[in-house]
Amino acid sequence: MRNNLFASVVCVITLSLSLCACGGILTADSKNPVVLTLWHNYGGQLKDTMDEMIDEFNDTVGQKEGIIISVTSISGSATLHDKLVMAANNDPGAPALPDITTAYPKTALILARKGLLLDLNEQFTGDDLSAYIPEFLEEGRIMEDGLYVFPTAKSTETLFVNKTIFDRFASETGARIEDLQTFEGIFETATLYYDWTDKQTPDIPMDGKMFYMADSLFNFSLIGCKQMDSVLIKGDAVDFASPRHQRVWECYFKPAVCGHAAIFDGYATDLAKTGDIVCSTGSTAGVSFFSPIVTYADNTREPAELAILPYPVFRDEKKVAIQRGGGMCVIRSTKEKEHAAGVFLKWFTSPLNNLRFVSSTGYLPVTKEAFGDTMSREIDSVPDENIKKLLKASRTMQQEYEFCVAPLFDGVDELQQLYESRLMETAAKSRQTYLDLLKTNSPDVAYQRTVEGVYQELAQSFTQ
Amino acid sequence: MKSIISTQNRIRSLKQNLKNSGSLGIPMGPRLFLLLLILVLTIVLGAVAVMLFTGNFTAGFKKSEAVFQNELLHASQAIEEQYGQFSQQAVELSKTLSRNIEEELNMLDISITGLQDRPDALEHLIASQYERTLLSLQLSKSSGVFLILDATVNPALANAQNSRAGLYMKNMEPNIISSHTPTIIVFRGFPSIGRRNHLDLHAQWQMEFDISNAPYYHAPMTAAHLRPDLPLSRLYYWYPAFTLQGTNEEVMLCSVPLIDSKGNVFGVCGLEISEMLFKLSHLPNRSFYSRLFCVLSPVKGSTMTFNRSMFAGGYSAKAVSRGKNTLVITKSDSPFYSYNYNSKRLFLGMHAPANLYPGDSVFTEQNWVAAVMVPQEDILGSIAVLNLILFSSVMLLALIGIATAFVLSRRFLKPIAEGFDIIKSADLEAAPKTKVPEIDDLIKYLKTRNKKLYQKAINGELSISLLDEFLENIKTLSPSERFVFDLYAKGHTSKEAASILYLSINTIKTHTKHIYMKLNVKSREELLLYVSMLKEIGKDI
Repeated sequence: MRNNLFASVVCVITLSLSLCACGGILTADSKNPVVLTLWHNYGGQLKDTMDEMIDEFNDTVGQKEGIIISVTSISGSATLHDKLVMAANNDPGAPALPDITTAYPKTALILARKGLLLDLNEQFTGDDLSAYIPEFLEEGRIMEDGLYVFPTAKSTETLFVNKTIFDRFASETGARIEDLQTFEGIFETATLYYDWTDKQTPDIPMDGKMFYMADSLFNFSLIGCKQMDSVLIKGDAVDFASPRHQRVWECYFKPAVCGHAAIFDGYATDLAKTGDIVCSTGSTAGVSFFSPIVTYADNTREPAELAILPYPVFRDEKKVAIQRGGGMCVIRSTKEKEHAAGVFLKWFTSPLNNLRFVSSTGYLPVTKEAFGDTMSREIDSVPDENIKKLLKASRTMQQEYEFCVAPLFDGVDELQQLYESRLMETAAKSRQTYLDLLKTNSPDVAYQRTVEGVYQELAQSFTQ
Repeated sequence: MKSIISTQNRIRSLKQNLKNSGSLGIPMGPRLFLLLLILVLTIVLGAVAVMLFTGNFTAGFKKSEAVFQNELLHASQAIEEQYGQFSQQAVELSKTLSRNIEEELNMLDISITGLQDRPDALEHLIASQYERTLLSLQLSKSSGVFLILDATVNPALANAQNSRAGLYMKNMEPNIISSHTPTIIVFRGFPSIGRRNHLDLHAQWQMEFDISNAPYYHAPMTAAHLRPDLPLSRLYYWYPAFTLQGTNEEVMLCSVPLIDSKGNVFGVCGLEISEMLFKLSHLPNRSFYSRLFCVLSPVKGSTMTFNRSMFAGGYSAKAVSRGKNTLVITKSDSPFYSYNYNSKRLFLGMHAPANLYPGDSVFTEQNWVAAVMVPQEDILGSIAVLNLILFSSVMLLALIGIATAFVLSRRFLKPIAEGFDIIKSADLEAAPKTKVPEIDDLIKYLKTRNKKLYQKAINGELSISLLDEFLENIKTLSPSERFVFDLYAKGHTSKEAASILYLSINTIKTHTKHIYMKLNVKSREELLLYVSMLKEIGKDI
């Protein structure tokens, strides 16, 4: 009886206290949410999708779990890399590292070596990880089996063709789109295109137009060597001694010097917008940057249909394509933030959300479920025609191609930048030499005299 | 079956008790319970009255009002400050560009009025202003900067009258303070400018501006033509939010006319605030209401042009707002304004005028409001939940009070009831102490009285006539009373009798009362004494 009485008194007191506490407003979300800053490189159309998904997370799962994702930077991947490295090195004026960032393995390795990244095995169980495509996970295991880059959306490279211009050109010259399946075919067609465009203005000699551009020369060479069953990088240096690499290089160099391929340090989509090139190889994630309109120098405009083909292969060589696209890294911080980041990544890569993201961006899904039947089922319902074409090309490649990832070692990023800039510098310089020689020589002779010793010089420049 | 009969008996007994309660009075237990109940309910009603008086039931509104007032004050001040700075920087940009372009044209020997006659000079002219335009973008921390000249690169094109050359650069991350490499891209302009300066082209890049539906181009130029006497600071124009052609992004533009030293108006320039920048700058604190959002909206009378507003809020709030073109502001009963769409109250919130122009500006009649709002169900729902909790708490308090009154009354009466049982028992001599002094005194008294009575009986002081009279009175007992009497005569207690006869103790008590009255005895001991004496003299009961 005494106990009953005591319990009653406790109840009354508790109730009275709770009544007092009820003076405040009820809040649906947590009073002290964990705020995670996020940097990503999803610009353009991708940014809208990303913004919407982050807002949705904040208002649903985030609200329930007390997590707020705050995007504090959207940069191109190169800029993002610079910023992350600056922040990791505590360089003067560097911003503070975010809690989550998109990053390529080469960037992640720099951060992981400094102990700044969380091993995501701590947030994901074996069961969780078994839902993801193993190759994509493997790319994120950059150091001592630790999972430092979580796959959120992957990409590969495909061939993008301005079909409107190509069809017009083909109807007059007999060029065939099937020829674009090989790099040799592309460069032969490029020669044809140059001559055809040159003839459009008979009064101006040698003003033919460029046909092709590789968005990343490093990837072009890397995959070219792989297709020939060789490697671009031996140890931690470019294998200039490899005849296969020389074959790949010449494949780029000659069209570049002759004006058939672009020498440009921006994105190929920029040249495609102005009709300066007809086709390019680049990331599937770049599909939304292709404009449906081509604007020429005199401001005349023309609707442009885009064709998307599997990545070209060197003639008679293996079908190999690159597996690219970074993932998300979590910066080490408090247990609460690390857990919250895990919650966000699980939500973001759940099959439905993953497919939603990729179907409006041009990335490839990362879970087996999303990449498998779900994607095959959903392709036809994708509203964007270009993304639909892209997913079809990607699916073909998934079935027929072998995928390889970029090598990862200290300094690979610098090597990549150096390789691309040296190739372009050399090509630009040689182009000028070629143009000068053309004044007094036939094109063949001019090219032969231009190319002499260039490869050796290029190779030597890497040993200095 | 047995239990059904038992229940039926109980119900019957209860009915009987209720019937009898009028004549026999309310038993002590319920009486005490009722007393305590009245006390408890009085306390609860008092508490409710205090809560009503102190405004606890409207506390939700008051708290929300404070939250909204605070957020509105913060938002409207921040908006006016930001937009004021952008206006001032856009005016400065216009002054510099106007001067620079005039000088450049003088060097090229081109008159401003003859600009359209020299489209070949446009690329050089615009490229020459790249550095100053970029500087303005970086200094202002806006999301974009633009310059539009009243000329097109190809006047021969069919739609040339709606095409204007210029430059529009966007900073894709204006919110990053310490970025050393801001991501700046070219949205409109000659591609050569981007390529020369290592700037990428926007995914929806076009070479020229389409001015077919561009009040941000026409309005300030018209104003400058009509009011040549006014300075640029009275001619700038804020174009309400619109979707940039080909993109999904909404922006607001501050547009200022370009005017040369002779008063010729030859284009516009200005700054952009993107939806993302507005959101990052003015997102309200959503810890109280997750769907709270801030808008900057053009307003005419009491109608907000909602689809031309800048919006800073979360996904859920945006989902509710989508597709609503205009909202009509009305004052509601609560401290909030309601914002109605198609006569249906959609949002509750507060607003304040946002002064984007000086009082003597050409565009001063264009009114804007800064508002913080939330879908109405969020406020009403939260207050309803709060009051429901308060009400539930009061009800719970009342229930606990009732239960406590019940328990306490039973606990209080338990020793008294035990005392009565002792008194009714045959053996008062062996009765334990009840720890209730009054009952112990009563037992003591009865013991003494019984002793005296017994002594009287032994001494033959009780006459035979009394016993005969007792026998006669037994015959007046009703059958039910007789059952009870017989059980008493066999030595059973009242509780045992109740159990044997499947009657409630109260029914037994009622019968006992009647038995005592009819037999003219005052206690069970006296009754048993009579029974015992009758048995001793061989009388059959």
